[in-house]
Amino acid sequence: MEFVSPEGLRLDGRRPMEMRQLRAKIGAVDKAHGSAYFEMGNTKVIAAVYGPREVQNRSQQLNDQALVRCEYTMANFSTGDRRRKPKGDRRSTEISLVIRQTMEACIMTHLMPRSQIDIFVQVLQADGGTRSACINAATLALADAGIPMHDLVTSCSAGYLNSTPLLDLNYVEDSAGGPDVTVGILPKSTKVTLLQMDSKLPMDIFENVMQLATEGCKAVANYIREVLLEKTKERQKFHGV
Amino acid sequence: MEQRLSNTWRMTINEKKFIKTSLLADLRVDGRRPFDYRRLIIKFGSEDGSSEVQLGQTHVMGVVTSQLVQPYRDRPNEGTLSIYTEFSPMADPSFEAGRPGESAVELGRIIDRGLRESMAVDTESLCVVTGKLVWSIRIDIHILDNGGNLVDAANIAALAALSTFRRPECTLGGEDGQELIVHPPEVREPVPLIIHHLPIAVTFGFIGEENIVVIDPTYFEEAVMGGSMTATLNTNGDVCAIQKAGGVGVLPSVIMQCLRLASVKAGDITNIIKNAVKSFNTERSLRKIKRHNSSVIDVSETAQKVDVKFSTNHVNRLKLSEDSRVAQGNGMEVDGQISQKEGTSKRDSSAKSFIGGPSSWDPHSKGIDPDALRASFASRVVLAPTEKLEDSKVDEPTDIEPNQPIVDDNSYISPKEATNTKSKTNEEKTLIDAIKPKHRRRRKASSQH
Amino acid sequence: MAIAEPTNNSPSYIDKLVVPGDVVLDLSSMSNQTIKLGGGLRQDCDSITAMKAGMLRFSKPNKYWVESSQKRYVPSAGDAVLGIVVDTKAENFLIDIKGPALAYLPVLAFEGGTRRNIPKFEVGTLIYVRVVKANIGMNPDLSCMDASGKAAEFGPLKDGYMFETSTGLSRMLLSSPACPVLEALGKKLSFEIAVGLNGRVWVNAAAPSTVILVSNAIMNSETLTSVQQKLMVDKLLQRTQ
Repeated sequence: MEFVSPEGLRLDGRRPMEMRQLRAKIGAVDKAHGSAYFEMGNTKVIAAVYGPREVQNRSQQLNDQALVRCEYTMANFSTGDRRRKPKGDRRSTEISLVIRQTMEACIMTHLMPRSQIDIFVQVLQADGGTRSACINAATLALADAGIPMHDLVTSCSAGYLNSTPLLDLNYVEDSAGGPDVTVGILPKSTKVTLLQMDSKLPMDIFENVMQLATEGCKAVANYIREVLLEKTKERQKFHGV
Repeated sequence: MEQRLSNTWRMTINEKKFIKTSLLADLRVDGRRPFDYRRLIIKFGSEDGSSEVQLGQTHVMGVVTSQLVQPYRDRPNEGTLSIYTEFSPMADPSFEAGRPGESAVELGRIIDRGLRESMAVDTESLCVVTGKLVWSIRIDIHILDNGGNLVDAANIAALAALSTFRRPECTLGGEDGQELIVHPPEVREPVPLIIHHLPIAVTFGFIGEENIVVIDPTYFEEAVMGGSMTATLNTNGDVCAIQKAGGVGVLPSVIMQCLRLASVKAGDITNIIKNAVKSFNTERSLRKIKRHNSSVIDVSETAQKVDVKFSTNHVNRLKLSEDSRVAQGNGMEVDGQISQKEGTSKRDSSAKSFIGGPSSWDPHSKGIDPDALRASFASRVVLAPTEKLEDSKVDEPTDIEPNQPIVDDNSYISPKEATNTKSKTNEEKTLIDAIKPKHRRRRKASSQH
Repeated sequence: MAIAEPTNNSPSYIDKLVVPGDVVLDLSSMSNQTIKLGGGLRQDCDSITAMKAGMLRFSKPNKYWVESSQKRYVPSAGDAVLGIVVDTKAENFLIDIKGPALAYLPVLAFEGGTRRNIPKFEVGTLIYVRVVKANIGMNPDLSCMDASGKAAEFGPLKDGYMFETSTGLSRMLLSSPACPVLEALGKKLSFEIAVGLNGRVWVNAAAPSTVILVSNAIMNSETLTSVQQKLMVDKLLQRTQ
């Protein structure tokens, strides 16, 4: 199947190095201490953050840092076929672990010992790149909740089909069986904190694909910064100048 | 709360600091250098498809089993592969019995990604009836002792078990040709899996502020490290999977460096696995030969005269030479592959009943005197299991001298010479190989005359 | 350790290996004697049976005990052990000494300790302490002073490296005359060492390589005889010098 036409257009009309359209909205969930809604093309996710608050399960309390918990779920209606188990299956467990560890790397947990921070991420519509969208949404939600962070974390995926590196795969391109590289970086220092890859790739091509994904992350970072700045400006207006 | 406190394992501040400071001097606490692996020992169980791996103090067991199932709807002509991990509390007090925890799921998925997406195991050959029946391969990983770096050890255990696993042979038969017959191992030799390449997982730990990289972290280093990355690669230079699930941030250049280092380590580990599997297979085919001999003896009607114990292959071989046709027929099965590999040997005239191959007996030669041979063979008990075909004798007269026991040796040897070059790479052990040393000795004795 | 002749003539198990269930003394033949039973022995009407596998020892005038080596420690009064601080309470520090229960170290049990100068120990600090009281079923009591109230060498240990051994090995390290491993190491290297009877050893030296060498040498000498120990140390030293 041809994923890149001879003119260089992908199935949805994008160029190989073009990302899908990004949309973000901060404050999507009123009750939560911080929340955000993030769209990458047709992938829509929502993230809610609660904390820092008292640890619910005393036995898990950490004396010198905050406990970060994360739960990743996919809504029943998020994919074509109705999902029977939204959470608790192995893929969700692994992605929850991955998101938690990625956010833990950027949250300054030592400033909030003996407390708990909960991150809930739910996928409303899945069209490839759900992991990345969730991390981007979580970053926004954490910033909205005012939790101190070293740096933002942004994430993007890239693949390699028809001998072309492609940025930001959608579901059809992802299920084509080609490699799928997901990268999460700390934009200020361009250090890589999340890196996952499956399928097979020779090493030099992998380097190219990883670089492409990193560029994508930087683009997402710029967008997220803009959104945050705007929201902050809005809030400042209300709280007096 | 006190109970929970007293049971958790903790590190002292001194240990944490020491591990980091000694790493600054390129030293690890167990005396290794930062890029050294611990000692790797691979052992196999008596059954096909079970392996036991020890990496330093980490101890992992892998078992592979197969079952006939219906294929997935969207992949009707492919078999399935699934991985289950068992983190037993005996390995580490922090593992809980029952449902696998997060790290168990992560480990299973890392190994799964490495094997499945990179097509390491050929799933299309597992199809029996398209759309109806395929083989489902299940890999169970049991963690017996957690000394750190479970991912690498479990991956090696899974690969070793897959390499030695054999599934039963099955054919379609029955009255209407639609019935599936699964042959038990005694009737038909079970079939190994087709493995295209071995994806080896190499885990790196990032410790300290300067992100010092260590390979194969121990339990203590894992407790101190800020992040880890597991790279799965094969020896063809492909990256099969990478897992760096958060943790401390690392520069992309460091990541590429780690990948290059990992490919070197993957080569080493692949060799170790291949050698271990090779010696297991040799041992297995030896056992197979013995079993096969006894069945030949039973079948052969001319299995009269000798009341000998067929405990030595030499004696068995004696039987075969007397009833060459039957023997060859059966020998064919054993050496099936070899005979196809070798071309016809010099003795084309005898080819009608003799298929070329390392078998070096000439069925049409003058028979050996059974009693004489039996006596001499029974007195020597030598099996050279790892002897290869190419270390046969040097120059031998190829003409056959009749009417002497020694004659047969020569005749045996000549075809062997002819097939020598062809059989260089062939290591399947046959009846003849087992007897070879005897012949060589006798020949040498004769050549000294 | 004086091995005196017992006053009875049982088929002496003294200095022999015993396993649980062995009857080591028959009291009916020893009347009018007071016998002190140490660890690993219990009284069953008129017979003394071994509870643990080990070597039976006797010391004048009347002490019997079973010497065994395990990974866990049985607290007994008067022992000097290495503990790890687990928690701080108002009155005590909770210390883990590898026994069945956490031990309490009163905050005032330091030389010159008053309410005003309570030491601050972080969780994870390594302390050299003395067991004061160790009754069955109660948490043991510790102190950082010796019997006369002086600090002696007790207190927190800074830097260095701690590793765990069996109780038998730590007893061997503390035996006098000096155990062969320590003697051989001490001839060529200079280092500081603190041995706890609960199977913990702390080593400190100027260079990390010395510390690693000493710790590995000690860990290797678990099952070696004195001659083998000397050879092992020589080999290790040769390899690194």
